[in-house]
Amino acid sequence: MRRFILVLFFFIYSVVQAQTIQISGRVTSANEPSGLPGVNVVVKGTSQGSITDLNGTFSLDVPDGTTLVFSFVGYQTQELIVQGPENIDIELVEEAEELSEVVVVGYSSVERRDITGSVTSVKASDFQDMSLSGIDQALQGQAPGVQVTQSSGTPGGGIAVRIRGVTSIGAGNTPLWIIDGVQVESGSLSLRSFGGQNDNALSLLNPGDIESIQILKDASAKALYGSRASNGVVVVTTKRGKKGQAKIMFDVQRGIIDPVRQLALLNAPQLLQLQREAVRNAGKNPDGFGLISGVTDAVDTDWQDEIFRRGIMQQYQLSASGGDENTNYYISTNYRDEEGIQLNNRFNRIGAVVNVDQKFSDKLTVSTNFNITRTLNKRVKGDNFLDGVYSGAVKSLPYYAPFNEDGFLIGPASSGYAGFPNFNPVAQAILPRFDATTAKLVGALSATYKINDHFNLKGQVSIDYNDVTEDQYESSQTAIGGFLQSVGGQGYGVFIASTATNVNTFATLSYANTIGEKHSINAFVGTEILQSFGINGNVQGRLFPSDDFTYITSAGIVDQGSSGKGQSGLASFLAEVKYDLDDRFLATVSFRTDGSSNFGPNRRFGYFPAASAAWRISSEDFFKVRSINDLKIRASFGFTGNERIGAFGFLGTWGATTYNGNSGVSPNNVANPDLKWEMTQETNVGVDIGMFEGRIQASIDAYYNKTSDLLLQRPYASTTGFTGVQDNIGEMENKGIELAISSVNMDGKFKWSTDFNISKNLNRVLFLADSVPLYRGYTAEGSDGTNIIKEGEPMGTFIGLNFLGVDPATGDAMYADTNEDGVINNSDAIVIGNSQPDFIGGLTNRFSYHRFDISVFFQFSVGNKILNFAKATLVNAGADISNNQSIDALRRWQKPGDITDVPRYEFENTYNNFHSNRLLEDGSYLRLKSVSFGYHLPAKIANRLMLQNLRLYCSGTNLWTYTKYSGADPEVSTLDGSVSAQGIDFFTLPQVRTISVGINATLR
Amino acid sequence: MMRFKTILLSVFCFLMISSCKEVLEPEPIDLLVDDIVLNEVKDVANVEIGLYNAFRVIIPASVIAGDFTADMLIHNGTFTQYRELSTKQITSANASVATLWGSIYNTVYIANFIIERLPLVPGLKSAERDRVLATAHLLRGHAYFVGYYTFGPIPMVLTTSIETNRNIRRASDEEILQLITDDYTFALGKLPEDPANPGFAGEYTVRAALARFHLYMGNWAEAEAYATDVIDSDLYSLVENFSELVTKDFTSEAIFEVGYSISDDPGTNGSIGLNNLFLGRREIIPSNQAIVALASSESGDRFSSIQFDINDLVGNDNGWAVAKYGTADEDNNNVVVFRLGEMYLIRAEARAQQQQTTGVNSAQEDINILRMRANAPTVGSLSQSQMLILIEDERRYELAFEGHRWYDLVRTGRIDAVMPAFSDNWREAYKRWPIPQREIQNNPALAGNQNPGY
Repeated sequence: MRRFILVLFFFIYSVVQAQTIQISGRVTSANEPSGLPGVNVVVKGTSQGSITDLNGTFSLDVPDGTTLVFSFVGYQTQELIVQGPENIDIELVEEAEELSEVVVVGYSSVERRDITGSVTSVKASDFQDMSLSGIDQALQGQAPGVQVTQSSGTPGGGIAVRIRGVTSIGAGNTPLWIIDGVQVESGSLSLRSFGGQNDNALSLLNPGDIESIQILKDASAKALYGSRASNGVVVVTTKRGKKGQAKIMFDVQRGIIDPVRQLALLNAPQLLQLQREAVRNAGKNPDGFGLISGVTDAVDTDWQDEIFRRGIMQQYQLSASGGDENTNYYISTNYRDEEGIQLNNRFNRIGAVVNVDQKFSDKLTVSTNFNITRTLNKRVKGDNFLDGVYSGAVKSLPYYAPFNEDGFLIGPASSGYAGFPNFNPVAQAILPRFDATTAKLVGALSATYKINDHFNLKGQVSIDYNDVTEDQYESSQTAIGGFLQSVGGQGYGVFIASTATNVNTFATLSYANTIGEKHSINAFVGTEILQSFGINGNVQGRLFPSDDFTYITSAGIVDQGSSGKGQSGLASFLAEVKYDLDDRFLATVSFRTDGSSNFGPNRRFGYFPAASAAWRISSEDFFKVRSINDLKIRASFGFTGNERIGAFGFLGTWGATTYNGNSGVSPNNVANPDLKWEMTQETNVGVDIGMFEGRIQASIDAYYNKTSDLLLQRPYASTTGFTGVQDNIGEMENKGIELAISSVNMDGKFKWSTDFNISKNLNRVLFLADSVPLYRGYTAEGSDGTNIIKEGEPMGTFIGLNFLGVDPATGDAMYADTNEDGVINNSDAIVIGNSQPDFIGGLTNRFSYHRFDISVFFQFSVGNKILNFAKATLVNAGADISNNQSIDALRRWQKPGDITDVPRYEFENTYNNFHSNRLLEDGSYLRLKSVSFGYHLPAKIANRLMLQNLRLYCSGTNLWTYTKYSGADPEVSTLDGSVSAQGIDFFTLPQVRTISVGINATLR
Repeated sequence: MMRFKTILLSVFCFLMISSCKEVLEPEPIDLLVDDIVLNEVKDVANVEIGLYNAFRVIIPASVIAGDFTADMLIHNGTFTQYRELSTKQITSANASVATLWGSIYNTVYIANFIIERLPLVPGLKSAERDRVLATAHLLRGHAYFVGYYTFGPIPMVLTTSIETNRNIRRASDEEILQLITDDYTFALGKLPEDPANPGFAGEYTVRAALARFHLYMGNWAEAEAYATDVIDSDLYSLVENFSELVTKDFTSEAIFEVGYSISDDPGTNGSIGLNNLFLGRREIIPSNQAIVALASSESGDRFSSIQFDINDLVGNDNGWAVAKYGTADEDNNNVVVFRLGEMYLIRAEARAQQQQTTGVNSAQEDINILRMRANAPTVGSLSQSQMLILIEDERRYELAFEGHRWYDLVRTGRIDAVMPAFSDNWREAYKRWPIPQREIQNNPALAGNQNPGY
């Protein structure tokens, strides 16, 4: 209707006035000096206009004095008043990154320069071109104080994100993830273990839909999430439409994936010789063990080659966005398909996002976010699973083969099947079906109502719904389905279905006012209710007629099944006041209180106050340093909490049990009515500085965080009938320093900018009730565990015997008898190192010249130790002869006088393989995490392809790594997500190297 | 617009006051809180099943102790706990050790819970109350019996008080033995003679337990008398073919077995899955010495306790497997606690010790009953010492992989002669298992009280 009136208006106008003049001109830009095609040239306030042609020229008939608007995606819009008929030459300038950006820090947003807490921003451009399976991966190396460790090279696998160290032992250490105001699940969704490598809820969110990520690190920034925020908060903002021309974008990326490195293992003749020696050293006859040279080693299989492949990744995204005065929209669909480097391993995601903002009036705006994603994860077993694929390939004896002479897979019934612990890893990869289908739906509806100039009311209702279906079958030719009679026998089918739902509702009333010239106040109060519901069921079937029948409906026996339900809730009240005095002093005071259903009536509520202040010295009259534009010092103090423990931990409970076909009840849990919130007291000081007109921006932060009332299982002697009770039993501190610098080094035709960040965190357990050390990780001979939690030591501390080398006379390992009792045993174990790095950081350099752009991103970790626990198997000094050995075994002691670090091999002698720092290695690394090289096609060519913009690029991830670590890859953690035993390499699938090419196209 | 304003304001107000109770106090799902577990008559059976469930772990755990610590089994897998047992390098961190210890005190906790609370349950018939209390005492007594002969005198837990039991010293030998005697004696005469099935304890379970206890104590007359009680009860008869004991549950000679059914099979329910260890993963296999013994003509049909598969004869694996424990869907997944065969062996040994070696009512008579059943040559007249050695071997054949060998060798003192020949690593200390390291760390009263040699 409006358009009709406008047309009518112009018709009348032109008839009446008839004073039009013809104008023409050319639009250019720095990169397109010969003309920028496709630019919109519109008469302001109308839809009348034209588009520039291939040469960037246009012509229009307009009345004199008209204002023309020149707009083009990626360029600043310009206006020009027509003054008489003339040739108009106009050069559009590319949109620069805004110096002062508004960042969303939770329930409100703030201008970056006015932030009083510690917040790090990661922009979409920081991780574009990288092949990322989830949004958590995007943070790696980008932000100081944020340690991101990908546990393995498994696609869609677990990633540990730690913000300012670990604050908790037993109540979770993953940050709180907030996406457009909605708290979403992070961590693992699947209910079945795959040998340590979990799935990852955050891989259900497409990095391509993200506009920016804010990482809230100190008490002040996190205060409004206080009750759940002790591990930091990651606030993700997805893309939204902007007023103006509709923009349709199409992105394609395709690439190849390879393991970064393979382990060097023995071949069949080498291993056989070694095993014969080990058996002989034990005084036994190797021939009797079937270890016969020339016969046994007739087959020589490289099992790693057998199970690895070159994977293909492909990713497509199509998005449309735009808007007018009242409506903004962003619509996007994406598809990603990533083949793992292990046979049959695959991760596939398809998703869609719809974000709409509708302004109903000057007072009321309603917004909705909607994200639906489905992933299909074809998983394979790994790591600590005896029947794992990569772990099996590394351990399997080379003198067995995956296929028989007829080309069929060798299975349990065949004489060529090595059997426990050498299952055929190729069959273990190919034959089982482990399909985890996950659907995620994040939906939010929010409304903002402007009551008057000062008061705003906002409400939001949201849901994060996650549904996992696991459809599994292990055939009779696999370890579980065939070899283990007691489990499968004739095929083993599992079906698991589960949902996890978070329903989140909040309402806030905010107030903003400027009193006089100088006093600006922002305040708000709010309430929030968060409820989590989980329900799950599973069923298992066995004895299938044949491997042609793979669903439980065909199972001969369906004797195992269960279902369960869980629920927990939080009810909160929150308030915040911000005060700004003349842009010089900034102060924020906030408070949140929460009740959690995980605690008993007496201890249900936790209180989380925080305060912060900043002084912008550069705004003071006395500040006269020309080169410094902005200098701000800030400090904050406050409390955050953690309640992420299982429900009903405060109750003494009994659960169902069975005996001899009857059902009854068994004790589950000891009551602890005093169980309460885990609290972290956080102090932060920081300086923000902007120099040379914003060409250098730097932030330095130092912090001290002390967590008390650590939620943890307090160990009980078994004489109580229990192993422990959920309790608040310790204290821990994290202190650290963080530095981030961004600089624009060159800003002419040749552009060069650098982002650098480095941080150090020191973690220490201050106190543990009863002063009892807690053993974690794996059990090991010669030590109570691989890891210890102990007063005075950091989390992730490794213990073991102190290996003094190999006695050149006997070839036996020498260990320090630390307690001098003449016996080497568990009590001689000492702290041998820890997995926490001294420094972590990242360095990104971006260059652009003309149409070319290059980005080079390095990431590093210095001083962390890795427990190469696989070495206890792969250089086992003869403890058993069931596993292949590393080439390190070739260095073994063989005769008196040999000087070496590998003890002699003697079959079944475990002494030389006791758990010691022989297995501990420096895990420091410097990694060329990503490189990308892009080229914008000339606009003329793009235009011919009906495109506004076309960029081609190639990129690579994990291309080069410098490390002394002898395992396959230093970025490793077999116990995915563990805080007490991270950094253990136990047959963990190495990281992958991806090389890809891609296209970013903007449709005309 | 006013409407939107009203809606928003109402949402806001609703949230402010919305029922916190619903959010913050969800009902526990499929859980019972302590106070209501044992309040009514109908609760009793459920808690009793819980007691049996806890007790059930003790028996397979003591099979590992009894056969693996001695010379019956060797390791063929990767697990440290089993390697340590096999190569006789047992440490206090051994997981099998912790499992047995834990299962004993889990049983004791529920037994104590019943003993404390059952008298308070209103409306329970006195005969029923006595029966359940007797079950609690019997299973607690037997838990301590296993505990005492595995670890030596262990802490004597008699209440459910967590605070007391977190810091509790080792009892003296006398205290523990008295407790076992009292608990067994308490149960006498209160349990049904013929329970629903041998998965539950009956009167003759108590007598069988007393027979074994007195044998271990060297009270020969009592051991003989209780064994005779069971044998003469006529409730039990030896199975005709020994192999039935290998392949079937609840045979005619079963006095008490811990029972598994298809819904709670040992392979998947988290306790010790003997089938998995012996057959599935072949983590543990019979030692060559055990194979030779079982293959002997004196062993006869008891050879069927093990089986051979040529495909398994690879490397260190001798190809043999323990056949006594089947999968969930097979009929032999129970673990025997007491059976009639053992009663004959107890009586034979008690008689031999009392000089009744041959003739009427002699050891010879009892042994030949078992020999004839096994189609093995009968024994002639022997001296007492010859007979005692013969009984030792006979127990090895008859009770192989039922958790006896180590306990037998220790109580007869023969361990010093037998085990050093089996393993160079054998040490005096291995006459007992160590107290689990974790217990010493978490129970201050145990500090410095580890068994000697660990």
